[in-house]
Amino acid sequence: MQVPLRPEIETGAGATSGRPRAPAMIEIDSVSQRFEISGRKSHLALSDINLTVEDGAFVSILGPSGCGKSTLLYIVGGFVNPTQGAAKVKGNVIKGPGPDRGPVFQEFALFPWKTVIGNVMYGPRQQGVPRAEAEAQSRRLIEMVGLKGYENFYPKELSGGMKQRVAIARTLAYHPSVLLMDEPFGALDAHTRTRLQNDLLEIWERDRKTVLFVTHSVEEAVFLSDKVVVMTRSPGRIKQIVDIDLPRPRRRAELLLDPHYQKYVVDIEKLIDDGRDDVVQP
Amino acid sequence: MRVAVSRISPLLACLGLLAAWQIAALWLNTDSFPTAWHAIKTVPDILGDRESLLNILDSVRRMVIGLTLAVLISIPLGLAMGRSARVAAFFNPLLMMVYPVPKAALMPVIMLWLGVGDASKTLVIFLGVSLPVIYHSFQGARAVEEKMLWSGAAMGLSSMQRMFRIVLPAALPEILTGCRTGLVLALITMVTSEMIARQSGAGNILFNAMDMAQYDTVFAMIVIIGALGILLDAAFDKLRRRLVRWAEPHYEILLGAS
Repeated sequence: MQVPLRPEIETGAGATSGRPRAPAMIEIDSVSQRFEISGRKSHLALSDINLTVEDGAFVSILGPSGCGKSTLLYIVGGFVNPTQGAAKVKGNVIKGPGPDRGPVFQEFALFPWKTVIGNVMYGPRQQGVPRAEAEAQSRRLIEMVGLKGYENFYPKELSGGMKQRVAIARTLAYHPSVLLMDEPFGALDAHTRTRLQNDLLEIWERDRKTVLFVTHSVEEAVFLSDKVVVMTRSPGRIKQIVDIDLPRPRRRAELLLDPHYQKYVVDIEKLIDDGRDDVVQP
Repeated sequence: MRVAVSRISPLLACLGLLAAWQIAALWLNTDSFPTAWHAIKTVPDILGDRESLLNILDSVRRMVIGLTLAVLISIPLGLAMGRSARVAAFFNPLLMMVYPVPKAALMPVIMLWLGVGDASKTLVIFLGVSLPVIYHSFQGARAVEEKMLWSGAAMGLSSMQRMFRIVLPAALPEILTGCRTGLVLALITMVTSEMIARQSGAGNILFNAMDMAQYDTVFAMIVIIGALGILLDAAFDKLRRRLVRWAEPHYEILLGAS
């Protein structure tokens, strides 16, 4: 049985661009973020960010390290309060974390004292789902992320890629409306990274959950997303939003040969290269 | 084979120590240094004597109460300090001042206020145990990954739930290390307190025997207290291993596939 995450949306339909305009899931309204460093010194991490993410869209935030892209994700998660402006989810101003926004971190952040199934069940149990039901649901999710047979392993016994699979299952388990992925594959080797991208895309194309995905890999962003938000280095501003008009479902082997895909990659790399203030700055 | 050696090696060390004692005592041949054999022969006499046994049980009871109270108060305090800069800023200077003071040195003052009975001795044990447990709980809580707490918050855990259901288990290996140190310190402060306020307990038997030049009893008591320490420590370590099996390094078998 499939896990019904967003059953109302047809899967496998190739035309993303032809879809009717979906309602806004996330609205970011002139958000700025300033961090106090020490005493009077402060650092402007984000400057006047405006962004709307439609329901069911896969949006990547791309930029050099230190551009505040993770901070923007944490603001949507409710983990960080913006200094100025506001972020909204489904029209409500975000005041703190909540189960409608599920984070997946580069550091996995699994509960090491819980087994794989214990981790995945944690969210549903917290939300009052009966044990038997939560367990059955979690087993299906673990199978979906390709970890059948590892239910009773502890995180310590797993490789990095497996840990991130558990983290994704753990977040999907409590049915968030938005997935917030903070460089989720950043700590993995190239091979594992590719496999997880493929599997994430497959899972996403089935459920079409709204995803906000932070990365510094251009290929990763183009391969996965409907929209790529390119940011500048500090203070983080939105430089350009690129619509990725490539058909879905996407298959890696076909896409890498597709001149459209290649053009997107090259164009976005140029866009990032334009603002090479790291070289100019003293 | 190696497992068998590591199992019996503590026993061998013990026997070696007793043999060295026996030889040294035979060689020195003075009244104040009985042989190991003599001392151990006296152990059943002490444990068979109702009066002595009640004294030893008194000691154990005080130790258990002092230890339990200390652990119940120190763990939440240490965790709160580890997660809140404000709580840490308040308690840290206080603890820094108390930390280097030998708790036994406070005994005279405590006796003055609380008398020579159970209360004073239990309080000294409590003070001796508290500091390592607070310190390790503090370190453990401070090291908990922020993102782990965020993950919990996203699932809907309140800040109190995060403290007891994420910070506590995540810091448990470190907390239990503190408790193990605390257990040994409980035994030390137990004997010390009974040495200062002689009224009952294992320390009382030991030092009374010393005054009366019953050296067999003195050494037998040292054997009994030592054995108690070793047994308690071994039992606690077994419990600790069970509780934090998920964090033990021998579990770190990386699986190749992603």
